[in-house]
Amino acid sequence: MKTIQFIQKSALLVLTIGFTACLKLDANLYNKKKLDAYQLDNYTGEQDFILSQDYAIPGSLIHQFTLQSKSKNESKATTIHAIYIGNLTTIANDTIIVYCHGNKWHMDFYWQRAKLLAHVNGKNKYGVLMMDYRGYGLSEGEPSEEGMYADVDACFQWLKQNGAKDNQVMIYGFSMGSAPSCELTANVSSLSPSKLILEAPFASSAVMAQDGSQLSMSASYFTDLKIDNAEEIKKIKIPFLWLHGTNDNFLNYKTHGQVVYNNYQGIYKTHVLIKDADHSEVPSKMGFDAYLRTLKEFITKK
Amino acid sequence: MKIKFSLLFLLLIFFGCSPVRMVKPLQKRQQIVGSSFGGPLINFAGAPIPIPFTSLFYANGITNNVTVIGGLNTTSLLFGNIHLDASSCINLFYKENKYGISLNPGVQSIYHIRDSKSFGLWPTLDLNGYFHFKNKSSFLYTGVNSWIELKNQKAHGEKVTAPVLPSFQIGYQLVNTKWNHQFEIKYLGIGRSNQPNVVDYIGGAGQGAFGLFYGLHFKF
Repeated sequence: MKTIQFIQKSALLVLTIGFTACLKLDANLYNKKKLDAYQLDNYTGEQDFILSQDYAIPGSLIHQFTLQSKSKNESKATTIHAIYIGNLTTIANDTIIVYCHGNKWHMDFYWQRAKLLAHVNGKNKYGVLMMDYRGYGLSEGEPSEEGMYADVDACFQWLKQNGAKDNQVMIYGFSMGSAPSCELTANVSSLSPSKLILEAPFASSAVMAQDGSQLSMSASYFTDLKIDNAEEIKKIKIPFLWLHGTNDNFLNYKTHGQVVYNNYQGIYKTHVLIKDADHSEVPSKMGFDAYLRTLKEFITKK
Repeated sequence: MKIKFSLLFLLLIFFGCSPVRMVKPLQKRQQIVGSSFGGPLINFAGAPIPIPFTSLFYANGITNNVTVIGGLNTTSLLFGNIHLDASSCINLFYKENKYGISLNPGVQSIYHIRDSKSFGLWPTLDLNGYFHFKNKSSFLYTGVNSWIELKNQKAHGEKVTAPVLPSFQIGYQLVNTKWNHQFEIKYLGIGRSNQPNVVDYIGGAGQGAFGLFYGLHFKF
C-alpha cells in the first residue's frame, strides 16, 4: 500500500513539474555573439573567406547606423545595428540587395559576404544593406522569430524613407536568413522586393526536427519556432534563385532547399547546385567570379 | 555558418534516452519501480560526460516469462512533452542462471502539451541476450534496439527512406535482494551522421553517438 502511494505521489509530482515548468529550447537556437564595436575589414576572428583588395570598399561607401525595430506584438522598439554599403544619395536609383545573414554571431562574420554582393555587376555597383538581428553583434534585445522579421522590416522602412522603390530591391537570405526573406516576401511588409535569392535555405522547423531525429517527429517537441519556408514560398510570385551546396551537412539540399524550390509557384525560378560545397562554402566553392556572374544574370534578367 | 542547434541532442536522445527497461523477465507477481540516468556522451569542457536525461518506469511480472513495463521520460516532460513508453519483456529462451534470450516489443508515444496535433507513436523492438556468471543472479547482456517509423511521409510530403532506426547496447545488471543496479553503453543512431552539431557528440567516425546509462531498480 505504501508503495502504491509512493508511486502515485511520484507520478503527481512529475506531472506537476511537467505542466508548470516547461523549459524552452528556443533560446539556445540563436548563435548570437555580442560585440563592443564592429571591426569589418579589421575583424580577425573566424570567417568563411577573406576577399582580396580587389573587393575593397571605400570608406565613404560604408555607413553604419541604428534602426528602431518593433514587431506587431511589442509595445517598445528595439535598437538594432545595420550597415549600408553604397552611396546614400543615390539610393532612389540604385539596385539594392538586402542581405539577411545566417545564424552565426554578427555582421563582422558576414562582412566579406556583404562586400562580395556590392560587386555584383561591377565594382561597388550595387547597394547592400545588412543588419544584425536583435541580440546579435551590437544590436540590443534578445533574438526571436517575430523580432527577426521586424528587424528586416525596419531595414525595408529605412530604404523606403531614403527613396528606394520595390523594383530596385532584391532580398537575399542565407541559411537562417531565408526565414525573414520568405516571410517578408510572402506576406505584407513595408516594402515588396522584386527578386528573391536564397542560399542554403531551411525548409521548415519540421524538417529540421525530422532530419535530426531521423523520425517523423513533430517540431513542437523541440521548438516553438514556426519557420516554414516550404509553405511561405508557395505565396511568392517574384523571380527566385536558389543556391545550395550538394555537400551541405547542416541543411541537406534535398530535404531543405529542394523542397522550397519545388514548392515555388511564381513566374520564374532557377537554381545552381554547387558540387561538394558545404553549408558555408557556396561562394568560395563556386568561385567568386562565377558566384557574382550568377547573381548578375539573375538580377538583371528582364 | 552552422546554427547553434542545441536541441539536436534532444532529438537524438528520443530514441536513446534510457537503457533497456528490462532485459530479463521478473518472477511472477514480482514488481519493480526504476529510474534511469544518462544519455549520449558529449565532450564538455574537455571531458566526456553523458547528457543527464532521466526516466522512471514500473514493471510487473505477469508470468515467469512475461513482464509488462510502463515508463515516463521525465526530462522530456520538463520540455512539455509527455513521452511514455510501454513494452513487455518476453523470454524466448532461458537456461536457469546460465543464459537467455529475450524480446521486448513495445511502443513509444510522445505528445507536446501545447500542440494538439503533435501526438506520435513509434513501435520499438529490442532483442537481448543475457549471460550469468558462476550461477550468480547478476548478468551481462547485449542486444539491439530499433525504433520503427510507421508513417511513409515526413513533412511536406517527403518520403521516409529509413523506417528502422537501430541502436546497439551492452550492459551489466547487478542484482541484489531489493535493489538492482544497471550499467549500459549504447551506440545510438548506427550509421547516421552526427555532424554537424554544436554539441560535440562522441561517436564512431562521425556517426551516431555512444550513450552511457545508469539504472536503479527497487523490487517488491
